[in-house]
Amino acid sequence: MLSLLGTLGLLSALLGSVLLTWRGWLAATGHTDRGLAPAARLVLAGAAVAMGAMQLALITDDFSLAYVANHHASTTPFPFNVATAWAALEGSIILWGLVLAGFTWMMLRRHSRSPDRLGAAALAVMGAVAVFFFALMLTVANPFEVCTEAIANGCAASSPWPFAAVQAPLEGRGPNPLLQNHLLMAIHPPMLYLGYVGMTVPFAYAIGALALGLPGVDWLRRSHRSTVVAWSFLTVGIVLGGWWAYEVLSWGGYWAWDPVENASLMPWLVATAFLHSALVQRRRGMLQAWNFVLVISVFALTILGTFLTRSGTIQSVHSFTQSAIGPVLLGFLLVVVVGSFALFSARAHLVGSTPRIDHLVSREGSFLANNLLLTLYAFVVLTGTTYPLVVEAFSGARVGVGAPFFNRLAVPLSFALLLMMGLGPVLPWRLAPPRLLWLRTRGPAVIALAAGLLTALTVTRIGWVILTVVLGVFVLACSSGVLAEQARRQPGRHEGRLRATLEVIRSDRGFWGGQLSHAGVVLVALGIAFAANLGAHAEAVMSPGDTVVFAGHTFIYESPFQRSAPGKSTSGARLTVTEDGSFRATLEPSANYFGADPTGVSTPDALHLPGGDIYVTMLRLDAAGVTLVFDTSPLIWLIWLGGGVVAGGGAIAMTGRRAGTMAPARQTADV
Amino acid sequence: MSERLRDTVYLVFMTITVVALAALVLAAPDRDDRVQELGSRIRCPVCEGEAIIDSPAPMARDMMKLIRQRVDEGASDEEILSEITSSYSGAVLLDPPAEGATLWLWLAPLLALAGGISVILWWRAHPGGTPGSAKSATPSSPRRRSRAIAGGLLVTLVLGAVVVAAGSALQDREGPGGGAADLDSVDPSLVSNETMEAVIGANQDDPSIDGMRLALAERYFRAGDYRSAFPHYLAIAQSGTAADETAHTALVRLGWMAYDGNGEVETALELLDQALDIDAGSPMALYLKGLVLWCGADRPEEAGDLFQAVLDQADLEDETRTEVSDDLAAARRGEGCA
Amino acid sequence: MSGRWLRWLGAGVAVATVVFAVVLASRFGADPSLVPSPLIGEPAPEFALPTLDGTSTVSLSGLEGDIVVVNFFASWCLQCRAEHDDLVATAEAFSEQGVSFVQIAYQESPAQTLAYLDEAGISPAMRHLADPGSRTAIAYGVFGIPETFFIDADGVVVGKLVGESNALILGATLDSILGGDQPGETVTGDTMQRPSP
Repeated sequence: MLSLLGTLGLLSALLGSVLLTWRGWLAATGHTDRGLAPAARLVLAGAAVAMGAMQLALITDDFSLAYVANHHASTTPFPFNVATAWAALEGSIILWGLVLAGFTWMMLRRHSRSPDRLGAAALAVMGAVAVFFFALMLTVANPFEVCTEAIANGCAASSPWPFAAVQAPLEGRGPNPLLQNHLLMAIHPPMLYLGYVGMTVPFAYAIGALALGLPGVDWLRRSHRSTVVAWSFLTVGIVLGGWWAYEVLSWGGYWAWDPVENASLMPWLVATAFLHSALVQRRRGMLQAWNFVLVISVFALTILGTFLTRSGTIQSVHSFTQSAIGPVLLGFLLVVVVGSFALFSARAHLVGSTPRIDHLVSREGSFLANNLLLTLYAFVVLTGTTYPLVVEAFSGARVGVGAPFFNRLAVPLSFALLLMMGLGPVLPWRLAPPRLLWLRTRGPAVIALAAGLLTALTVTRIGWVILTVVLGVFVLACSSGVLAEQARRQPGRHEGRLRATLEVIRSDRGFWGGQLSHAGVVLVALGIAFAANLGAHAEAVMSPGDTVVFAGHTFIYESPFQRSAPGKSTSGARLTVTEDGSFRATLEPSANYFGADPTGVSTPDALHLPGGDIYVTMLRLDAAGVTLVFDTSPLIWLIWLGGGVVAGGGAIAMTGRRAGTMAPARQTADV
Repeated sequence: MSERLRDTVYLVFMTITVVALAALVLAAPDRDDRVQELGSRIRCPVCEGEAIIDSPAPMARDMMKLIRQRVDEGASDEEILSEITSSYSGAVLLDPPAEGATLWLWLAPLLALAGGISVILWWRAHPGGTPGSAKSATPSSPRRRSRAIAGGLLVTLVLGAVVVAAGSALQDREGPGGGAADLDSVDPSLVSNETMEAVIGANQDDPSIDGMRLALAERYFRAGDYRSAFPHYLAIAQSGTAADETAHTALVRLGWMAYDGNGEVETALELLDQALDIDAGSPMALYLKGLVLWCGADRPEEAGDLFQAVLDQADLEDETRTEVSDDLAAARRGEGCA
Repeated sequence: MSGRWLRWLGAGVAVATVVFAVVLASRFGADPSLVPSPLIGEPAPEFALPTLDGTSTVSLSGLEGDIVVVNFFASWCLQCRAEHDDLVATAEAFSEQGVSFVQIAYQESPAQTLAYLDEAGISPAMRHLADPGSRTAIAYGVFGIPETFFIDADGVVVGKLVGESNALILGATLDSILGGDQPGETVTGDTMQRPSP
């Protein structure tokens, strides 16, 4: 029954998408825009029904659905049973479709009643993308297939026909143990998808603008808010993924330059570049062609990322099973890129802009530098990730490209970006008189260097850490300097400095939201620098009663323990932690075993301190004793906090005045 | 005036701090640890993408111990890495060397940076004209536009479909590796005696192995190696699951070997009788029994009867017929066997 | 940018993407986790390892002149247990042909391996060795077990089997080596990399 419901939902959504594409095209080419709204609503309704059917199946343990039989078990607790909807390929595409439908519906709501050809064209493009994804779900990656051949804990064969003879197993296989271990794993995919799918919106507007031959800032303005929303969610999604990896793997685990991680970083980098260069176009009218290139690239990279993740062509920690979806995604990627760039070529004469940059040392120049660095960064990540594939295709040789390669390039790029983050806000538009530049940077430079010196004298003398501190403080100081300068110039002195400052921020939330995001990036950089360079590591094999001293704390191994819960059993070691003789905590590093799966998931336990976490991981528990690994990652929480601040800055920026009115703001850094 | 003083103060501050920092950082104890550095460049072969220095797996820790030992022995970084790659191949390195296939990997970012900078400089130097001036190229009639776009879309869709089809076809292709072979599909004529012995030895309890046993035993028999053939024929005869025809052949052979190899007439006759129990009209069994009776038991009359029974069979080859006839004649005449 | 330049840029990107997609597509069907061994055709790494009971040492050079089959295994490996009988049968069948079988314990204590072998059966045709520190496993580039290496009479690695083997494959491989061929690397199935904790 639920299979039928879900399939009908998908069919409706597909129908709605086809209608949307068609009616959108009609409306864009000057005909009536009737039928647009119903089509968009049909897509959303269909997608919602499909997701609802899947959730219902999971909550009621309906094992007649092959997807539920293979990925869910009746013992899976809430909220992991809900999250199973996107734990595997077929289900995650329902989520993709639903988010896409949601964004489409929001676009519809802002579609003006007067002839709005650009809006209609954008809706048509969204419809076309939706057609692809819903068609995918009805053919190659069908989440509502019924189980026709049950085996002990799962489904061996299935059929897409909802009325096929059902043979439902009594119990399901359950989710991958790694996915049941931590709540973050349930939230991470939806956040990522909100980011990925959201990037379809600016892409749709861009293609619409190109197709209709309507260059200019219109498409930028209208898609700006969606871009910021999508970018913020993508930021959160990436940071959550890193946080979860750290919680599960402890030391260094938050980022491994794994191909799937890179797949999410590439669109983020290019989207960040796009946010900045779009600003330039809205402000000064230049970089029009470049913006088209960027936004097409962002969307293409999200598809490429999904392809790399799901196609089985690249080996990765996130080992999703290879499925038939690989060739289809590759084909779609090809259509998107070739089609978009062909359209771009056809309209090349219209998009060649326009005002030229006068001086490289200016706000515009800093944006150019920012774009150069970010796209170079994305290029490096792309090259490194796909290089093994390319080399093997040509010469058959096996090469490995891992963390050392990426770090070697990412580190200098990141420092260069930090520097530009500091200089950007202090540079005026058009031209930066050297005197002005000096006046605005001399103070921050001194403060930054002093902070570096302080760090060198008190905390550590490692060069990378010092440099990060210096650049980070420079960014914060430059930003604060601009804020103070504008607050000073606010009319109405008697209001007080604080109120003046708040007024400055309130009047240009787009800019100051961005500055807050920069501050978040600084926090992330500091967190990475401290955690990577100042961590400590130790290993020990302990028998009951043994003690280990690590990071100023004493760890006493009390005893091993065993615990059972429905669908999950845990075995671990109990430790008492003391500091200077007084009790601090009890830690229980363990390994969790889920259902019938003999592979356990190692679950570290940690002591969370303001200065950083102390992680204890259990490697082995046997007759000889327990083998434990101890790690510290000082100040690593700065990364999670920083990520949140970055996204928060995006949220604030979004609430700003309607982006891109050509009237220069009263109080932007336009000196 | 005071402005210049302020500037100087700032500059002095900055210079002092920079120098101080440089001194502190450079004077910091060297954290260079070759073992750590090498360990972070080698992928753990039993993990998923981790470097051996980061992995808790025992194999990774053994490899770290090996690295440590080699460093202590004075081996250079290149030597150690080349030893590891000659065992595991270059895929085990996380950091590809700047040579050969991976040289492009190192060059690409630099080339991209240079390219990006030159594009910016070129763009700056070449104004493209005022906005809206380049109206010429394509007249923007809606009809034409739609058609052009539709045509372009069709082309790209076809291209995409081709890629999907090709990709799906490639995806279904077999990966390397033959997989465990099916016993029933083996052609014994292609396999050596030792291999057959091995397969039989490993599958003693599998009833379908009798066919292979027979094939091997026949090989030995025809080569005159009764000693090797014997245990296999025996195993077939004693197995309760052998097919009639197989068991029959085994018993016939056993019978003949008992006589021809060991001179045991009674045993041979017993075995041949057992064979005839299964297939009373078998020419081979009848003939061999006849031979045994004639040559071994000196009972030419009975032998003659059996030879006659053989000749009564319709489907004998001429050569065989002649031979049996000759033997029959000789036996009837009461001669000793030749 | 002038329109013409952009036109070329657009076309160039489209063409480059097509090429890229073709390259990516060519990797369909190939398993990215399979790494071909660089040892095929190379001299086999020397080893001198103690037997499991510690009573003697067996070295590869000591077996020179024989074809040597080196099988890495452990009691916690399901495929190794499954192929045990076939290995023994093949070892015995080929023992007269100048073939020596050597089994090396991987990531396991000798006591545990011996306990398993007591139950599974020890044959005189098979030598069982311990590998302290996994040095030999590392030298042979072992990614998981079971992995079986075939070394010809001149000490060159001429074949490798990854995954569970059976008598037929082993025999056929040995036949081809005895006939002077180099069978190369074959993958028959999955290997195990660690015991379940």
